[in-house]
Amino acid sequence: MRTFALSLITLLTLISCGSNEPKPIKLNIDSCDFCKMTIANGKFGAELITQKGRYYKFDDLACMVQFAKSNTVVPYQSFFVNDYLKDNTLISVESAFFIKSDKINSPMRGNMAAFSTAAQQGEYAKKLGAQTLTWSEVYNTYP
Amino acid sequence: MKNLVYILYFICLISNAKTITVGKSYPVKTIKQALTLANDGDTVLVTTGIYKEGNILIHKKIAFLGKNFPTLDGQNKFEVLSVAADSVVIKGFKIINSGHAALDDPCGIKVYDRSFVRIENNILDNNFFGIYLQNSKNGVVKNNTIKAYGKQEQLIGNGIHCWKSDNLQIIGNKISGHRDGIYFEFVTQSVIWRNISNYNIRYGLHFMFSNDDSYITNVFKGNGAGVAVMFTKNVKMFNNYFEENWGDSAYGLLLKEIADSYIFNNHFKRNTSGIYMEGTSRIKVEKNVFEANGWGMKIQASCMENEVVHNNYIGNTFDISTNGSLVLNTFNSNYWDKYEGYDLNKDGIGDVPYHPLSLFAVLTESNPSSMLLYRSFMITLLDKSEKVLPSITPDNFVDNTPLMKQLRL
Repeated sequence: MRTFALSLITLLTLISCGSNEPKPIKLNIDSCDFCKMTIANGKFGAELITQKGRYYKFDDLACMVQFAKSNTVVPYQSFFVNDYLKDNTLISVESAFFIKSDKINSPMRGNMAAFSTAAQQGEYAKKLGAQTLTWSEVYNTYP
Repeated sequence: MKNLVYILYFICLISNAKTITVGKSYPVKTIKQALTLANDGDTVLVTTGIYKEGNILIHKKIAFLGKNFPTLDGQNKFEVLSVAADSVVIKGFKIINSGHAALDDPCGIKVYDRSFVRIENNILDNNFFGIYLQNSKNGVVKNNTIKAYGKQEQLIGNGIHCWKSDNLQIIGNKISGHRDGIYFEFVTQSVIWRNISNYNIRYGLHFMFSNDDSYITNVFKGNGAGVAVMFTKNVKMFNNYFEENWGDSAYGLLLKEIADSYIFNNHFKRNTSGIYMEGTSRIKVEKNVFEANGWGMKIQASCMENEVVHNNYIGNTFDISTNGSLVLNTFNSNYWDKYEGYDLNKDGIGDVPYHPLSLFAVLTESNPSSMLLYRSFMITLLDKSEKVLPSITPDNFVDNTPLMKQLRL
């Protein structure tokens, strides 16, 4: 029984190593891997995980996309972005809804915000006169 | 004769202006009432007391003066003072408790698209943003004390935030506890002079896309990550103090994507890295002191045509470090305290060229944990042999005229 428990624990630990969960961004401590600025705003942060399990953190969605585009060697596994309405909460980009407007002041002028529901996206797009975007559109904004 | 007419005309104008005094023992009790009574050119004088009037909007060209620092309290709900008129003077107030973390960035004082506004001698305490100049020209922000109590893991605004502005003067302010002490974004032709920006959460001073500015004689001490000048050209940085910026991603001065600038006579003391440069070009670094830093300068391989001359490097763990083997920058006539050459003809210039890049600096750059072996016997031996016969370090990374004596700076 004890060996079973032990092996289970070991197995769980090993599984958690290769997890696909984002690591929380430590505000004002972590710095952006693209623009080197310290990440200070939990509304615009972003994070990506490579297939080798390395984490990269960004202060702006624009930084993450430009970083991903500039480095084609390492294959990426998943992308995350901060929910604009929750403080420093990362959500997967596939399930996120984006808007872009000059009225949104993000740290590196990406000026995009992400929401977890289409309703929120619609509400803020109306409020700020913003353009709505999907993840693939966001990804293709930068060459 | 014509001049005399003008002078008389102005005297008439001045004599027309009136002063409205606000206070408990005066007929006008509230600031809002005084603002409705006032006309362009008048003075509103506020006497001591605590005024909780929500958001106060100034939309007339007036002088708004406080006597013995009357307190304007935003009760953590409102933007305290909004300016929507040209040539407004705000002087002598204590402005506290603006709203926090709302989407519209509430401020202690915010100027909306106006010119010639003067904000002088105020005390700002516990506001989300301190002073915010948006789209304004020829503004003066002088001798204000701006304090906030930002913590890590918490959203807080900047002390003095300037956006899309031109011809500003930021002089003699003391800022602490904000996200960035002074923040410039799309600001041109402006000067930052004699400010003290200490112990802010992120940067003491932060430049983004702001060309043709200068900052002179400021002190930046103990900020979360030092000072950052990014995506900018033609910035002059004279006579500033960058001190005590410690941490993994903290730099005395972070330069990223900047060109054609001049760094002269600054002091970099006790920082993890004095200057970190990435993607910078055509910068002259002259007559600066790098003292007791972990790294004096970190110059990434993406930098080119920079000139590093006549600086003092004293007591740094590493004077210079880089991540590549390509050298496109020049390092001449500096004083290096680690220089061990001689000067036979006594002209004050060492006869043997100095290689400022040590072997170990290169090793730690590619493998940070090798720092454990620093000051071990083998490393010292390798370092010495590398100095004589460069193999890993680029041999053209060299100061051909190292100075024998420290420059007096």
